[in-house]
Amino acid sequence: MSNQHPVRIEVTDGASIPDPRERGLNAWSLAFGAAVIAMVYLWFHQEAESGEYTYRNIMAFLFEPDRSRMFPFNFMPDALLVTFQITFFSFLCTIPLGILTGLGRLSRNRCLNLLTSTYVEVIRGVPLLVQLFYIYYALGKIIQVPPLVSAVVAISICYGAYMGEVVRAGILAVSPGQTEAARSLGFNGAQTMWHVVLPQALRTILPPVGNEFIAMLKDTSLVSIMAVTDLFRRAREYAAESFDYFETYTVVALLYLIITLLLSKAVSLMEGKLNYYERNRK
Amino acid sequence: MKNSICAALAAIFLMVSGAFAAEKVYIVASDATWPPMESMSLEKQVEGYSVDYIKAAAKEGGFAVDVRNTAWDGIFAALGSNQADIIASSVTITDKRKKAMAFSEPYCEIRQAVVVPAGSDIKTMADLDGKKVGGQIGTTGLIQALPKARSKAVVKSYDEVGLALEDLARGNLDAVICDDPVAKYYANKKAEYRDTLQIAFVTDDVEYYGFALRKNDTELLDKLNAGIKAVKTKGLDKPIIEKWLGE
Repeated sequence: MSNQHPVRIEVTDGASIPDPRERGLNAWSLAFGAAVIAMVYLWFHQEAESGEYTYRNIMAFLFEPDRSRMFPFNFMPDALLVTFQITFFSFLCTIPLGILTGLGRLSRNRCLNLLTSTYVEVIRGVPLLVQLFYIYYALGKIIQVPPLVSAVVAISICYGAYMGEVVRAGILAVSPGQTEAARSLGFNGAQTMWHVVLPQALRTILPPVGNEFIAMLKDTSLVSIMAVTDLFRRAREYAAESFDYFETYTVVALLYLIITLLLSKAVSLMEGKLNYYERNRK
Repeated sequence: MKNSICAALAAIFLMVSGAFAAEKVYIVASDATWPPMESMSLEKQVEGYSVDYIKAAAKEGGFAVDVRNTAWDGIFAALGSNQADIIASSVTITDKRKKAMAFSEPYCEIRQAVVVPAGSDIKTMADLDGKKVGGQIGTTGLIQALPKARSKAVVKSYDEVGLALEDLARGNLDAVICDDPVAKYYANKKAEYRDTLQIAFVTDDVEYYGFALRKNDTELLDKLNAGIKAVKTKGLDKPIIEKWLGE
């Protein structure tokens, strides 16, 4: 695996991406299989004394759709939908922010460089939970933002900085010979970046970007502090009412695990596709 | 030499076991975000009506307590995991809660109050339909009063009632529902909200606060109930009411 790509950027926060060519028993299939089996077992689990289906009630509550939404969202689990909504919109905002930050960090323009570097430095130094509180409650004194928007803004600003670092590393990983060749063919700086360097960098950075997406999905659980009814908030509301703390959080943990494992599999498949040419050249 | 070591060890053992036997300190969990019932003093101590009441009842009942600040979300789990022996945190006695834990005799009578921005035209429960109503997660306002009235309000739950009231003052909510002492504290006494928030109405249903214990902790329950009874008959609750709920 390691000799296929010149550089492989590892991000520690996200889920670990399974090797696309790995077959048989591995960490991914073991974790995924165990999580799914546990979920199915809990669905059929009946309390010995009361005969109640505690876990089934929790799952039914978490998967309850909000009928007032418009089609087809009125058939989707409301809490899960909010979690995906925040992740998706934040991701959309993060991509351009990340590319701009990454380019700025590499820019020879002193002012631009300093600006983006300071942004990265500041954001990386403040915990996401504190940022969320800050943007929602402190900044809210000046401008009013609905919870969902402020959640997306806060997560985007935070992950934009991380994404900027990924983009920067990806661009640096493209051999300088590529730039030199493009320049000697008469491309200007912007053309070189857009037509030659970025497309090659994209291949290197896509797996870590996928990884960031997964990390982002997990971090959306933090927005439950802002009265955004995401998956975790719904679970906490259920636990607070039923006192089934252990049972509820077991189900939520399994749900998050299954989602991240599926996503990491998707990223891994995508990575396999991107490596197609390099694989066949050998 | 050996004998003296044995003697010393025995002495230490006796002292330690003696210290344990002398007085068991019961741990009391309070969520200090519910003024004036439970809140954090400037000296970082949990204070308030419930805190003073449990201390008085413990003194009369003949046991020692140590009050600790515990987040509301999960406060009942502290009983099950033995991190706390008593919950003194404005817990309304409900049938559903009674199934999961034991309750002392009631120590306070309250109602649910709805707080709105000054000048709001919300006057009754029916006016809340379709409006955004906030409250603290898992409190009786959200899990009992609104469902019982078949309210069609859009419910938003917060970790702390203070965060909900801040959101109300900022215009993100139409109303906040909480216990009436808390509502009165925020809408009438707290300087930041005195002019911006007001109490729209108070529900007719009465609720009673009780101290929550583990179901099998019957010995402690008996001592606590005896303490509460003594506090009431001796009139020791009068200064507590005066101090925290007086006008």
